[in-house]
Amino acid sequence: MSMRLASAELVDSREILPREWLQAFHAPHVALGSRAGQFVHVRGGDLSGLVLRRPFSINTADRASGTITLHFRVQGRATDWFTHLRPGDRIDLLGPLGRPFEVDARSRHLLLVAGGSAGIAGLRMLADEAVRDGRQVTLLLGAESARHVYPSNLLPDEVEYVVATEDGSLGRRGTVADLVPDYEAWADQAFAAGPAPMLATLARLAATRRHRLGVAKLGRKRGHGRADPIGSPAARRKAFLQVALRQRMGCAVGACLGCVVMGAAGTPLRTCREGPVFAAEEIDWEAGW
Amino acid sequence: MKAKKRVVTTGNRVAKRTPTVRRIRSAIVPARPRGATPAGGDGRSIVARDHEPDESAAVDLSVDLGRGLVLENPILVAAGTFGYGVEYDEVVEVERLGAVCTKGTTLKPRIGNRTPRVAETPGGLLNSIGLQNPGIDAVIDRYAPIWRGWRVPVIVNVAGESVGDYVEVVRRLDGVAGVAGIELNISCPNVGRGGVQFAVDPDAAGAVTAAVRRATELPLLVKLSPNVADVRPIARAVADAGADALTAINTLSGLAVAPDRDRPLLGNVYGGLSGPAIRPIALRVVFEVAQVVEIPVIAVGGVTELSDVLDYLAAGAVAVEVGTAIFADPTLPVRLVDELADECRRRGLGGCASLVGTALPKRPLPSSVKGVEYRP
Repeated sequence: MSMRLASAELVDSREILPREWLQAFHAPHVALGSRAGQFVHVRGGDLSGLVLRRPFSINTADRASGTITLHFRVQGRATDWFTHLRPGDRIDLLGPLGRPFEVDARSRHLLLVAGGSAGIAGLRMLADEAVRDGRQVTLLLGAESARHVYPSNLLPDEVEYVVATEDGSLGRRGTVADLVPDYEAWADQAFAAGPAPMLATLARLAATRRHRLGVAKLGRKRGHGRADPIGSPAARRKAFLQVALRQRMGCAVGACLGCVVMGAAGTPLRTCREGPVFAAEEIDWEAGW
Repeated sequence: MKAKKRVVTTGNRVAKRTPTVRRIRSAIVPARPRGATPAGGDGRSIVARDHEPDESAAVDLSVDLGRGLVLENPILVAAGTFGYGVEYDEVVEVERLGAVCTKGTTLKPRIGNRTPRVAETPGGLLNSIGLQNPGIDAVIDRYAPIWRGWRVPVIVNVAGESVGDYVEVVRRLDGVAGVAGIELNISCPNVGRGGVQFAVDPDAAGAVTAAVRRATELPLLVKLSPNVADVRPIARAVADAGADALTAINTLSGLAVAPDRDRPLLGNVYGGLSGPAIRPIALRVVFEVAQVVEIPVIAVGGVTELSDVLDYLAAGAVAVEVGTAIFADPTLPVRLVDELADECRRRGLGGCASLVGTALPKRPLPSSVKGVEYRP
């Protein structure tokens, strides 16, 4: 469904982790028309000096009640402003924007790899969709410490949830990438969101996966036909790893070219239009953009 | 998540401060206070209003930029903030704008600068996109067929590294259906060669304008840079070289520092500052330029509400481009068209021509550059 500019009313707001908030808004258009991986561009209050909206992943969408949730960490004046909203308050919301995750119909086992809370926010809705479609989901989360681990009661019961913390206070000590090898062979497809260096590490792992594990490529049997164009939904559906990128954004509709990331073909790709979800092989991870 | 019971409170400040939906709706179906026109006002427009459901038709906001380029209203969207006009079409009534200025376009495709490319600053936006664009041929192929079907004039913003580049791009645009004019970007601060170097020297600015003038019959706007000590000789040189109108101003060169403070934030180090932060500077430049040239001046810099438009008109601009504010409020430009018409109606004016230049001095004031005047 197409993007729309509309106001949304806050229906629930709570701090689920230190400085991390989960807010529900009544936004029927977005709740009905969005898919996992898409985002909304939100205008907060008239804070003097702030001229940009803020992009937020759509954390969950409930069609029946017309609500969506946003999950964010307080990082500056704009995000802090949101924490002072009360039920009934309204924000101005542009969306849904960007392109969603593409799950292959044959994929039974989905591996979701989240780096921190931003990672969870980028993948949370995909977990819902996958469970609804009867797929098995394992969510790997990397966090600083036990205090920052996303509460398991906010996830669907069907999701297997595995945690790594940097200080070892919960789960395995290490990064989320350290958890991946245990699930690589199990997974039919993987989806990741989080800091760029983590995504680059996962992309390197994914690039060598076939060679290391000797597994078949998705969609191989269709082989003789023309290859799907790079970046098309069909091509993404066949990719083992899809990543949701975050980038500083201006307009979020593809006009300003502020949020680009360097593509493997040598042309910049707009995070807001061609993304925020990309197949890992679409991105030039070495370009340092 | 299960939705909680919706509680509507009336006493909260946010609900009062952001009546966005109401504002958007009012842009489509104007519901304005009536009877505000003074008794001695324009009786004709009152009559017209009673019989004409489209209230904006009662006031003629059209602006003649010369060489046959007549805009239906003086609200344009600024280059670089509106892509090629198609990106926002799902949420903006593009055809109600005075004109669309496209993203800066060069002869060959450009991949632009490294990221990060944008940074929010106090009251402003620092950008260094670096003129990323698909090149003039791709732009003509992809977008001109769409523009051809639009009522709104599309002005292609043209950038280059050499006079030859500018001339070649303009030559390719000449005669293309759907292209209503050229805005010469001689003032982009974000590219290594070309760009701003033309805009800081009267001779170079005049030379590139004259060369482009010879290459096309299209209406020619030239966008000036504020990154100069005295803009007036440059404005004069460009006008003398055959520009039909001037656009003032492009962004100001600025810097942001990365959060870790170990380097500048932007991938290209320097960026161009836009937004409300630069509005007083843009006003000053418009004011100075309007006093020394006969051709129309189009103002751009930090417009966020009607009073900014009125300020620019008073300072001598005949039209105004909206830029950075679009990112927060995409429907602002179209709403400003309605608000400007309402303002004219409220003052009993048939159009906004009489609002132009009301703050200009009777005789030219000295430049804001103090060095010359204060010399002993």
